[in-house]
Amino acid sequence: MDTLINVAHGFGVALQPVNLIYCFIGVFIGTLVGVLPGIGPISAMSLLLPITLSGTPESGIIMMAGIYYGSMYGGSTTSILVNIPGEAASVVTCIDGHQMAKQGRAGPALGISAFGSFFAGTFALVALMLVAPKLASVAIAFGPAEYFSLMVLGLVVLTFLTQGSMAKALLMACIGVVLGVVGLDSITAQPRLTFGRLELIDGIGLVPVVMGLFGIAEVLFNTEQVIKRDVINTKITHLLPSKEDWKASAGPMTRGTILGFFLGILPGGGAVISSFASYALEKRLSKTPERFGQGAIEGVAGPEAANNAAAGGAFIPLMTLGIPPNVVMALLLGAFVIHGLQPGPLMITQNPGLFWGIVASMYIGNLMLLVLNLPMIGMWVQLLKLPYNILFPLIILFTIIGVYCSSNNVFDVYVMIAFGIIGYFMRKLGYEPAPLVLAFVLGPMLENNLRKSLILSQGDLMTFIERPISAVCLAFAVMLLVGPLLPSLRKKRELVALDEGA
Amino acid sequence: MSDQSDVKFRLNNSELWGGLIGLALGGFVIWSGLKLKLGTINDPGAGFVLFYTGILMCLFAASIIIGALTEGGPTFGSRWVDTRWTKPLLVIVCLIAFSFALDPLGFLLSATPLMLLLLRVVDPVRWPLAVPIAVLVPLGMWWVLKRLLLIQLPSGIFEIG
Repeated sequence: MDTLINVAHGFGVALQPVNLIYCFIGVFIGTLVGVLPGIGPISAMSLLLPITLSGTPESGIIMMAGIYYGSMYGGSTTSILVNIPGEAASVVTCIDGHQMAKQGRAGPALGISAFGSFFAGTFALVALMLVAPKLASVAIAFGPAEYFSLMVLGLVVLTFLTQGSMAKALLMACIGVVLGVVGLDSITAQPRLTFGRLELIDGIGLVPVVMGLFGIAEVLFNTEQVIKRDVINTKITHLLPSKEDWKASAGPMTRGTILGFFLGILPGGGAVISSFASYALEKRLSKTPERFGQGAIEGVAGPEAANNAAAGGAFIPLMTLGIPPNVVMALLLGAFVIHGLQPGPLMITQNPGLFWGIVASMYIGNLMLLVLNLPMIGMWVQLLKLPYNILFPLIILFTIIGVYCSSNNVFDVYVMIAFGIIGYFMRKLGYEPAPLVLAFVLGPMLENNLRKSLILSQGDLMTFIERPISAVCLAFAVMLLVGPLLPSLRKKRELVALDEGA
Repeated sequence: MSDQSDVKFRLNNSELWGGLIGLALGGFVIWSGLKLKLGTINDPGAGFVLFYTGILMCLFAASIIIGALTEGGPTFGSRWVDTRWTKPLLVIVCLIAFSFALDPLGFLLSATPLMLLLLRVVDPVRWPLAVPIAVLVPLGMWWVLKRLLLIQLPSGIFEIG
């Protein structure tokens, strides 16, 4: 009963005209960046992070969340019609989705992808509503040792899942921690790594770092390639899947939803890995696995449902523990912090309007996305023809203005340009920026919790082992760190490694 | 790792240099941590986390270097094979020039040439389209920010904008 009252309260917040507008802007931009190859939700969210300052916390976070789950919808359009994933989570959709489009079945592919996404998104929200408050009440008992160990686990999982060498990903995570602790020490108020610059006393801003690493670096990376687009030109009809299509897709959609939701909750996991896992599962369960890769609708329905369910599931660790499980959620945490809010176990009770408002807005956003992605599909197809030589300079200008507006400080523009150039060379040399950004956000919390737990335990390191939750997290982290040394696990890691930056 | 050869040690091995940069950064972080004071285990100081993170950085960098020395790795040149490497380089030059010009010249006088250069260097946009975009977009953004959102962009020594 309490949940229903809370949901009603949430809808009261989400249905306010200003929040509806922000929700629409979010899902619209999300679909847009999902559709456009080369720009992912991370770039878009970092680009729009300063805009969240202008409204209420609810509005800003509703918009940011909309970009994330909206991009999951939009990404499939590009995968199906152009055979280029609009964002990383839609890589798998290319395999069968584009084959379907080539066979003249672009309509059902797009339709099942949108309906699958809607179904999974709705399920994830219901589960979020039911799970989050319960987990939050448990999380109140968490001490600094548990938080420290959970964050270590999150970072290790992300480095484990990042493409390429794990040593490089771990090095990036360490650099992220160092960058995160620049500025005044929270306990002794000593300036650290400020090099005498007053601008660094408050630390390096999240906005210039992410805009540089994901916005500018992404543009630099894309300018060196000729982006070819082979858009399917036939008229898109039969967006509503047939009875047979529904019959074939029902199972994959349900399994993809459940699998995606649980993988989304795990620290370091997320939409990309869940779509790959769903595809592998469906292929394994299918009586005719040879159809996969030739235009099997199950290969579209499962992964699309999985990546949307994961997008919903990823909100759970952020909302209940205050720990972002991936980079996108780290950016969302940034949006909370900008407004002086700290997501975590107390947020649901202390700020129910915000929590339930966000959840309710996601329902509304999912409905908006269904409308945006089915009747308006023609508009997105036209957008696929937008020239990049105009788009990229505009993105650069918007990032410059966005960074400046977030702090009214030219120094942040320099920081962004520097991180943009560093980010480009990092990517060229195989160093992924995702672990750096997550560690940058978690760094100060990680340090604080480590020092607190050491002070509370009077320097007894056993405190991390004696507490069961902390011990389990650290044991998993050690397993993942040692695991790649075993050839069989290394092979598995390479199979599931993902590119969060896309 | 397309161009790995039998010769394991090469000075232009990008993996090696990546590891060496990591090692140098790790060394610097350790030194900074020591300078800030480590404190004790039951009362960690401001440099405690930095020091141990620096040690971890050195360990990971060392593992990258060992990998580069024992298994080889791609050269710097091979990282840019079959790419239009001059394009990002030109964009980087434009951005650095812009960062030097922003404070003295102000937003409008520095953003307009930046846009024009970017529109012409990446995949050249026709002049009749590039010029209006380069002029109108920064001007429009400046107007929206200054008049509607009341945000003052840098106006530079000429106080334009």
